[in-house]
Amino acid sequence: MSPLTRLGVTRYLASRLTREVVVANLGSASLDLYAIADRPLNCYTFGAMGQCSSIGLGIAVARPDVRVICLDGDGSLLMNLGSLCTIAAEAPRNFVLMVWDNEVHQTTGGQPTATARKASLLGIARGAGIDRGLEVRTQAELEHAVDRVLTEDGPLVVVVKIDKGPTTVPFDLDVIAQPASFRRALAAV
Amino acid sequence: MSDQSWAKHVADVLRRNDIRLFATVPDFIVSHVLDELWTDPECRVITTTREEEAVGLLSGAWLAGRRGALLMQNSGLGNCVNALASLNVASFVPLVLVMSHRGDLGEFNPAQVPMGRALPRVLDALGIRWIRPTSIAELEQQADGLIKLCYAEGQPVAIVLPTELTGGKKG
Repeated sequence: MSPLTRLGVTRYLASRLTREVVVANLGSASLDLYAIADRPLNCYTFGAMGQCSSIGLGIAVARPDVRVICLDGDGSLLMNLGSLCTIAAEAPRNFVLMVWDNEVHQTTGGQPTATARKASLLGIARGAGIDRGLEVRTQAELEHAVDRVLTEDGPLVVVVKIDKGPTTVPFDLDVIAQPASFRRALAAV
Repeated sequence: MSDQSWAKHVADVLRRNDIRLFATVPDFIVSHVLDELWTDPECRVITTTREEEAVGLLSGAWLAGRRGALLMQNSGLGNCVNALASLNVASFVPLVLVMSHRGDLGEFNPAQVPMGRALPRVLDALGIRWIRPTSIAELEQQADGLIKLCYAEGQPVAIVLPTELTGGKKG
């Protein structure tokens, strides 16, 4: 059991944000971020399961002047591991991939993912060619990691081991309107 | 080598509609278009590991203000059906798809045929407007309007490249 919770790590990261774009994975990552720190530069993703890191990469490529922080999940990234190879090859300096790794498919009822067994997402990221990465298991490690997330040249991968547990936030986001409102907010930056 | 002048027309249609960012999982036929784009210093071409990844990437780029096109074999459409439906179609995120039409006239590989035959119905089932120009004249007549529709409606559209236009792959 990890001492870190998704709500807790989301709250800490949000407290440090300024003008970064934050792209959140569908389900728990988006809902927790929405509840704690809704802001115009949050991009909540709802469709395209697995594609959170790719959507974030696309934003980073199109807007190299803005730092992009992706909040992916372990199940989602495991579905799109090739994305790590593309991130390594394109190497956007303004891109950080954080993974809330609770070792379960939380949204579908808590079934174990591959990270509960043998797989290390940090190891896979390194194998894909992303040299800068770290794994976080404590609040002190999280605070050090967020220092790097906000300042260091990317691509950077931060795997945050968090406790299991579904979100308690109700789903009341406008999925249809959200992409357009995020697009307008980013265009104004 | 058959005449590949069609490929420059495809590249030019995309470029004159302000598309400079491309993602691809390469295909023999589409690679003729990629040859035009890779050598253009104003264009950026990103090779992804899977077509679905390219849908995510180009959708993100559009959210950040850049138009994008995905170049692939039609078999790759099968790899990105859910992403197109649940992100682009559901949330009005426009994207230009350019795909070869393997599995149709002149096909030598039987494994390509079922997906090739399903292609029009897959696009129709997703509600994606598509064109299938069989000549350069048809391409020039239809493609600008299709791309204009894409961004006006905020929906993905597809340019399907049949053997009649490209000469196909001989085997």
